[in-house]
Amino acid sequence: MIEIKKKQFGDFIKNLMETYRVFAPTKDGKKSSFSEIKKADEIVDVHTTKSAKSVFFPQAEVLFNYSENEIEVPNLEQKPIALWGIHSCDTKGLLSLDKVFKNAHQLPNNKMYEDPYWNKKYAESLIFTLACNEPLTTCFCNWFESGPFDKTGADIFVVDNGESFLLEAISDKGQTFFIQSGFDQEGEHQHAVFSLKKKAESMMEEKQDISSVFETLNEIQEKEFWEEITQKCINCGACTFVCPTCHCFDVSDEGKHQKGKRIRVWDSCMFGIFTEEASGHNPRGLSYQRVQQRIMHKFNYFYDNYEEHLCSGCGRCIRVCPTNLDIREIVKKIIKRKNNV
Amino acid sequence: MCNTYIPFQMKIENIIDENPDRSLRTFDLSFVKKEDEEAFKYLPGQFCEFSILGKGESPFGIASSPTEKGLLKFTVSRIGLVTNEIHHLQIGDIVGMRGPLGNWYPVEKMKGKDIVIIGGGFAFTTLRSLIVYLLENRADYGKITVIYGARTPELFIFKEELKEWDKREDLILHLTIDKPIKGWNKLCGFVPTITKNVEPDPTSWAIVCGPPIMIKFTLPVLSELGFDDNIIYTSLERRMKCGIGKCGRCGIGSKYICIDGPVFSLAELKKIPDAF
Repeated sequence: MIEIKKKQFGDFIKNLMETYRVFAPTKDGKKSSFSEIKKADEIVDVHTTKSAKSVFFPQAEVLFNYSENEIEVPNLEQKPIALWGIHSCDTKGLLSLDKVFKNAHQLPNNKMYEDPYWNKKYAESLIFTLACNEPLTTCFCNWFESGPFDKTGADIFVVDNGESFLLEAISDKGQTFFIQSGFDQEGEHQHAVFSLKKKAESMMEEKQDISSVFETLNEIQEKEFWEEITQKCINCGACTFVCPTCHCFDVSDEGKHQKGKRIRVWDSCMFGIFTEEASGHNPRGLSYQRVQQRIMHKFNYFYDNYEEHLCSGCGRCIRVCPTNLDIREIVKKIIKRKNNV
Repeated sequence: MCNTYIPFQMKIENIIDENPDRSLRTFDLSFVKKEDEEAFKYLPGQFCEFSILGKGESPFGIASSPTEKGLLKFTVSRIGLVTNEIHHLQIGDIVGMRGPLGNWYPVEKMKGKDIVIIGGGFAFTTLRSLIVYLLENRADYGKITVIYGARTPELFIFKEELKEWDKREDLILHLTIDKPIKGWNKLCGFVPTITKNVEPDPTSWAIVCGPPIMIKFTLPVLSELGFDDNIIYTSLERRMKCGIGKCGRCGIGSKYICIDGPVFSLAELKKIPDAF
C-alpha cells in the first residue's frame, strides 16, 4: 500500500495523463457523472448521479460513418483509459457488462461475438476503485457478497483517509502500474483502513439473504404477482439509464442517404416500443410485463447464464425513481413469497 | 479485430413480385467482394441484417440455400420503414448485409430421418432454404412431406418452385388456403387442421415456421400425434437490432433469439416463459 498525500494528488493525476485518458466523477450542475478530466481539481467525491458505464459504453456512440457506400469506423486506437474514483458497485457493474459485451457464454455455432467498441477500451483500462467511506441509506451492495470496500474488479484499490489516498495494487495490471510508477507496496496503513471499512459497513442496513431469489422466480407463474408488485412503476425508464448494469441499446442511422452515421444509443426495456414489431405485434405490450422483464433479467435470466445477479446494489434506481419504487422491496417480496409457500 | 457491426456490400441482381398487390418481393443479391462470399458460410434457418445506409437495418431469414452458390435470397414484406425502402430498390443497387447470424435447422441430426415441414404465409423463406438444401442432398434424408398454407392462392411465395416440387415424386406437397375459392383444386383449411388430417408419422422430425398463431396451434397437433418435444423445431422472430446478443431486444427468458435461436426445439421452448 502506498500513500499519496492530497497535496501531491494534482501531480499524480498529471503523471497519469501522460499515459492515460483519465476519467473521474465530475460535477454537472447539481448532478454528477464520470467524464474525462484535464486536472485533478475537477474531481468530486460523491455518489455520482449516473454510473460509470458511460466511460466504456457511452449513451450515444458512433458505430461507423458512411458516405455513399463507403464505411469508415471511428478510430478505436486511442490512449487507454484510467478510471479514478469509481465505487465498488460500479466496478462490479463493469464486470457484468464485460460478460455481455465479450459474450462469455457459448453460442450454438461456437461463435463469440465480441463488441470491439467496448472490448478494447475496457481491456486496456486501469480501474482505480475508491473505497466508499459513507454508503447511503439506499445502498445495498452488501446483498451481493460485496461491500463498500470490495476490491473485486479493481486494478488498484484506493482508500481516502482524509489526508491521503492509500493505494493498493490488486490485479497484474495494477502491479505493473506500481512498478512502472516506482511505487513500493510498503507502508503501514492496515489499521486505519480496517477502521474506515468497519465504519462504512456499519452505516449499511442489514443484508438480505437473496440465495432463494433465482429459484423462486423460476416458480412464479401468475401475472397477478407481477401486476401487484410493479403497480407503482410508470415505465419512465430512469432506473435503466442510471443503472450500472443495464445494457440495452438501439441502433439507428442519422443523416441523409449519401452521408451520415450509424449510432447506438442507450435504450430501455421499460418502453413499449422497445419490442414492438413492424406488424404491430408486441411481446411486452403491457407495463407490468416490462417491469417483470427487468426484474427477471436482473435476478433470474442473467443468473441462469452467468450465475450472478445483474445488479450490484448501487441504489441509484431507488434514488432516481419518481414514484419511489424501491427494488429492494420487490426483492424482499419475492423472498417473502418463497417463505410463504 | 472482427467487427460484426459493419455490413459488407451486396448488389441486387433480381427482383420478383410474389403477389398481385406487390407487398411481397423477393430479392436475389450477389456478393460485391469475393472475400465476403468466401467468409459467408451458412445453413438453412439463419438470418441476416439487411441494411440501407441512412435508413437502418432489419433482420430477415435467408431464403436461399447454401447449395445455391454466389447468391442470397430474401423475401421482404413491405410493412415498416426499412422494408418500404427495400421495396424501392432497383436491380444494380448496392445494399449492406451483416451475417450469417443465429443458428439453423438441425440438418445434421435429421440425416436418415423422415421430415415434415410445416409453414404458413410469407414466413416460408427459411423453409424454402431448407427444402432446396434437402433436395440437393436428397439421398441423406428419408421421406419429405411439406404442408404449406396461405390465406389465398396469391399469397403463396415461390409459386414457380411450388409447381416444380408438386411434380416431384420424392417430396409430398400439401398446399392449403383458408377458405374455398373458385379454381383452387388443392386443400382448404387452416394449417393445424390439415396437419391433423395429413397425420405425419411421429418418428419424423417436424420443422414448423409461420405466424405465431399458426405455430401456437400446430405444435399441440404434433404433440397429440405423438411427436416428441425434442424432434419438433420452430423458428421465432423478434425485433432484433444488433443480432449478436447485446442490445437486449430479442430476449425471451434467459435466451436471445438472435444468438441462441432463431431455431428452437419445442423442448427448449417449454423451458422459456412466454415464448409465444
